[in-house]
Amino acid sequence: MKRFVYINDDEASKEVMNQYFLLIACLQLWSLITPVNPASTWGPLIFIFAVSASKEAWDDYHRFLSDKIANEKQVWIVKHGIKKHIQAQEIQVGNIVWLRENDEVPCDLVLLFKCGKKWTHTLQTAALDGETDLKTRVIPSACVGIDLELLHRMKGVLECPVPDKDIRRFDANMRLFPPFIDNDVCSLTIKNTLLQSCYLRNTEWACGASVYTGNQTKLGMSRGIAEPKLTAMDAMIDKLTGAIFVFQIVVVLVLGVAGNVWKDTEARKQWYVQYPAEAPWYELLVIPLRFELLCSIMIPISIKVSLDLVKGLYAKFIEWDVEMIDQETGTASYAANTAISEDLGQVEYILTDKTGTLTDNKMIFRRCCIGSIFYGNENGDALKDAHLLSAITSGSTDVIRFLTVMAIGNTVIPVRSKAGDIVYKAQSQDEEALVIAAAKLNMVFVGKNANLLGADESILPYACAGQQTRTITEAVEHYAQLGLRTLCLAWRELEEDEYLEWLVKFKEASSVLVDREWRIAEVCQRLEHDLYILGVTAIEDRLQDGVPETIETLRKAGINFWMLTGDKQNTAIQIALSCNFISPEPKGQLLLIDGKSEEDVSRSLERVLLTMRNTTSEPKDVAFVIDGWALEIAVKHHRKDFVELAILSRTAICCRVTPSQKAQLVEILKSCDYRTLAIGDGGNDVRMIQQADIGVGISGREGLQAARAADYSIGRFRFLKRLILVHGRYSYNRRAFLSQYSFYKSLLICFIQIFFSFISGVSGTSLFNSVSLMAYNVFYTSVPVLVSVIDKDLSETSVMQHPQILFYCQAGRLLNPSTFAGWFGRSLFHAIVVFVITIHAYANEKSEMEELGMVALSGCIWLQAFVVAQETNSFTVLQHLSIWGNLVGFYVINFLFSAIPSSGMYTIMFRLCSQPSYWITMFLIIGAGMGPIFALKYYRYTYRPSKINILQQAERTGGPIVTIGNIETQPRTMEKEVSPLPITQPKNRSPVYEPLLSESPNATRRSFGPGTPLEFFQSQSRLSSSSGYSRNCKDN
Amino acid sequence: MSSNTASSSGGSGDSSAARKNSKRPKYSKFTQQELPACKPILTPGWVISTFLIVSVIFIPLGVISLFASQDVVEIVDRYDNDCIPAPARTNKVAFIQGDAPKACNRTLTVTKRMKQPIYVYYQLDNFYQNHRRYVKSRSDSQLRSPKFENQISACKPEDDAGGQPIVPCGLIAWSLFNDTYTLSRNNTPLAVNKKDIAWKSDKEHKFGNKVFPKNFQKGNLTGGATLNPDIPLSEQEDLIVWMRTAALPTFRKLYGKIETDLDNGDTIQVTLQNNYNTYSFSGKKKLVLSTTSWLGGKNDFLGIAYLTVGGICFFLALAFTIMYLVKPRRLGDPSYLSWNRNPGGGR
Repeated sequence: MKRFVYINDDEASKEVMNQYFLLIACLQLWSLITPVNPASTWGPLIFIFAVSASKEAWDDYHRFLSDKIANEKQVWIVKHGIKKHIQAQEIQVGNIVWLRENDEVPCDLVLLFKCGKKWTHTLQTAALDGETDLKTRVIPSACVGIDLELLHRMKGVLECPVPDKDIRRFDANMRLFPPFIDNDVCSLTIKNTLLQSCYLRNTEWACGASVYTGNQTKLGMSRGIAEPKLTAMDAMIDKLTGAIFVFQIVVVLVLGVAGNVWKDTEARKQWYVQYPAEAPWYELLVIPLRFELLCSIMIPISIKVSLDLVKGLYAKFIEWDVEMIDQETGTASYAANTAISEDLGQVEYILTDKTGTLTDNKMIFRRCCIGSIFYGNENGDALKDAHLLSAITSGSTDVIRFLTVMAIGNTVIPVRSKAGDIVYKAQSQDEEALVIAAAKLNMVFVGKNANLLGADESILPYACAGQQTRTITEAVEHYAQLGLRTLCLAWRELEEDEYLEWLVKFKEASSVLVDREWRIAEVCQRLEHDLYILGVTAIEDRLQDGVPETIETLRKAGINFWMLTGDKQNTAIQIALSCNFISPEPKGQLLLIDGKSEEDVSRSLERVLLTMRNTTSEPKDVAFVIDGWALEIAVKHHRKDFVELAILSRTAICCRVTPSQKAQLVEILKSCDYRTLAIGDGGNDVRMIQQADIGVGISGREGLQAARAADYSIGRFRFLKRLILVHGRYSYNRRAFLSQYSFYKSLLICFIQIFFSFISGVSGTSLFNSVSLMAYNVFYTSVPVLVSVIDKDLSETSVMQHPQILFYCQAGRLLNPSTFAGWFGRSLFHAIVVFVITIHAYANEKSEMEELGMVALSGCIWLQAFVVAQETNSFTVLQHLSIWGNLVGFYVINFLFSAIPSSGMYTIMFRLCSQPSYWITMFLIIGAGMGPIFALKYYRYTYRPSKINILQQAERTGGPIVTIGNIETQPRTMEKEVSPLPITQPKNRSPVYEPLLSESPNATRRSFGPGTPLEFFQSQSRLSSSSGYSRNCKDN
Repeated sequence: MSSNTASSSGGSGDSSAARKNSKRPKYSKFTQQELPACKPILTPGWVISTFLIVSVIFIPLGVISLFASQDVVEIVDRYDNDCIPAPARTNKVAFIQGDAPKACNRTLTVTKRMKQPIYVYYQLDNFYQNHRRYVKSRSDSQLRSPKFENQISACKPEDDAGGQPIVPCGLIAWSLFNDTYTLSRNNTPLAVNKKDIAWKSDKEHKFGNKVFPKNFQKGNLTGGATLNPDIPLSEQEDLIVWMRTAALPTFRKLYGKIETDLDNGDTIQVTLQNNYNTYSFSGKKKLVLSTTSWLGGKNDFLGIAYLTVGGICFFLALAFTIMYLVKPRRLGDPSYLSWNRNPGGGR
């Protein structure tokens, strides 16, 4: 059984980049055009590929070790009637595998035999779907009653579907050959299987025929590679890289033409160059190609490695964060996708599931309504309601029936623990809650035999004519308004023949290979008519700790929340109100979109849209509510209107939506160019989580399915606040700096090369030697900037207190073409400073090539150290070490090379460092290079401060220089400092947001549609979710 | 505030949970991103004093550098045009390539006392020693050791003559400067020491003492100077100096050193052989006599640049001080946070 060979399939953009570097490296081999030793490109290239390859090799090795353990595990198989021990990897399809209690299932099996007379049998599937309850597994009917002794003579055919990853379906057929049963086809379902990596429980032994092995098992199939997600920042960096590439091509073309012209006019006169009069045609290409090679470092080769390293570290920071550990279960957060943490800081929409995500998913039976009597209304707990207890003791038929249905209409498995207590394990938390409640009301559910409960809307239409359903409907409404989950209990007595007739149909349906689930559902529905409604149960599902605060903070941060739930409208609205999703009247307004037909929905959508547009100027919290049915119609027929609505609305509640609709909503928001985050906990959220830009799973009670599919898994909903505001924001800020800085330093050295070409006859001479070019990107400039990974612009407390600051990340204020232009200008300015000072200070008798090159390089290194220092917001020991240590490292490396007699720069560095003029020149370069930039920064910081600057100032002038270590003192000073802020009293705050940088020229806004009234709204209330450039880029 | 209480309660519960679960991450200041950090803030006082300090350092440094440069006495004599006899000036290239006598006499006057050592340079203008085709055309290994005599692949087109490798090969060596100067002061010969004008490291490690010129200037085209085939390369100091290629098209190369002081009013007669062809590309040739200072030769650039940068810094400090006095702004004033402003007034 070989596990899946992991193929490193990098993002396409990276592949393009790699091909670019490879092409450059190949061009270097042509000695006529290479400016320096080919090692200057090959060295870093090999180094960088060695780093990523060894990282992959390390991962592969660990995978290999764990595979080896799994593959070489000993298992029993039955062959010719004899039990044999073989390694797990030798199991073949069709082998009969013998398992003992508590064994791990080595591959997907169809259950054939098991010990004991009970026909139920249990399996723990925690490893597969994370659900801790035990699953019922049954022997296929064809195998019931076969003597164990005949096992080895058993022959048969198993028809099974193509391997897939659906762990809830297995639509197969089995036919045994004589002498066993006749040729009757026996249908198999997932209930007849033992899936790989599950554990056998409560059964002494079991036998199964293997159907899928290796990568074809359900587990193996579901392990597939998730589609790599590209973050907004990646896309922006790709765009900028493309722009730089175009710039590079332009430079190459211009210089190439200039070089050829110079060659034909001037160089002919330079007799010492000895240009031949006649040259082959490709001579024309030589100079452009030389410039291509000289400029190739404009696209920094180190960016791949440093970004990978840094991203890996961000992911680790998330996992290490002790404040994001669920205290109850002790589960830490986990970042499955290490590549997208900066996207967390750019989230604009959060789509959240309700049950288990916002709520605890701990169901407690609170109230019920039997017949027309309400129980549990007074004290909120039906189990302690004296009326109900007396009704039970008096033996009221309805009450007894109600409790019976409550107890048996489910898939709950009672497990008798060693102490003799009965523990109930169920797949559905609702069912479990009901059974537990019933048990407390003296209706102990011990064994299972073969009633109905369901959501009210699905049951009520089937109620038998004549029965008064009004009380029930009222009860349902009433409970729903309290935010309780309601289930309707109904009852119907079946006649014997009716049942038999139905059973035949059911069997037929359940042996269909295609669409089995649907057919079964159809058959089952036939039973569900003329039901007698017994009553309504109400189950409370408490909100998780900190949910309202989290949602409030994140909404303040400009993130829009959509709640997508399978629950019914009233419950959903109640939950939404209680967790600050929407403000209660009159500040908030709920707009309902409903209707069963297309016209209804269309009309209602139109109306809502109109109201939305009109209320945009008012400080009102407008949210729309839509149910699954109307959503279906709206998306199908009025997609454009719905999309507009989606853009206008900060809040939406979608109830009764299916998993695929959840995914569809994510898709709609993504198509409007919003960054979406989907958070959920259950299997029904998996599609939405995979679809969204960022999927967050709550490793909660409904199993780990969502957490497995997600990019990040967290223990509780409230950690989302920290995940986005702290980790997402820092990641974004740091990476914005890191990537722009990478371009800055590469451009810096490139510009110097370009300038130098103008004084070297445009012939493509490199000013720098091979060693310097090689080490510049890989060593000299990449170390200090890597430490920016621990830089913090604001303390976590400030960010939490002013979540609005997240806007800078959402709008991409820190990395966009205009900030990039700033860095571009800075590198141009620094290149001019370094070049002009160097060629003037080292003119005449000092203008030796190697020396001049080293002086210019040292100037670049000094400047870049100061640039990193200036852009660093908080200096820890590591920052000081790397910035200043790197300078020392630069000199040490160059001294080493200067000590090698055969190297080109032999003694150069010693000579330079002993000259006062070298140090004077360095001083001058630093002063001239940093002075204006520092002045500009100070001017902006003081007179045109961004909100980040203001908070920085507030936080840092609050006392002596505050270290993060003594965080206790900080809130106090902050409180004093910011006490007049209305922010601290959120209730008084107007929900209308204005753009943070309304006075900044950069604050361009997304516009939707041509309407002018929209314009006002967007600037005020939509928080200008994205700057104009992204829109423009889209349009182009 | 809610966020505070939530985070602090989270913190207090950690220690107990830490014991429960071994899987939990290890707590350290680094993993929690809580390393103690120094967070500087750009206060006006801090920034203004930085600029003041910089200007206070830079202006004196500039003055010192200027003085150092002014102390250097330099005599520059451009002779490329004057050393062509007047009739030949219509076609200088033909003259320089012809066989006519190239001797030329120049007279220099010392206007300021020059202390020894006085360096004699020749200066070339518009000469691209840094041209890609030129700068690469050399073989370092060949220069170092006779073993590598045949490593001439980089030297094209001056790699071999008649199938025999040229030592030293390549365009740089081939175009060796060949004007010569003979100096006399007040009609007495003035010794120009041509020893130790090259870098010591070059003589010892880059140019072998067992490598002798071979086939040099024997090719179809004659370039610059010829070399004495009996002297090893390590002692051909003019070649070594020449082969330290200049990075700029205007450069000076050391010709020799005068080891006596020259007094004010001394006249120096230079008899020079004007052999080197800079006429085809209109390059200038200059003879330079110069003393040095601790900063090197005469170069006002550093001093002026220092004064400029220092001046700008002083100006910036002044400007920021005025701005601070005229329009004081409280740092970190929360009222600048636009979300605190009245929504109506915000725009």
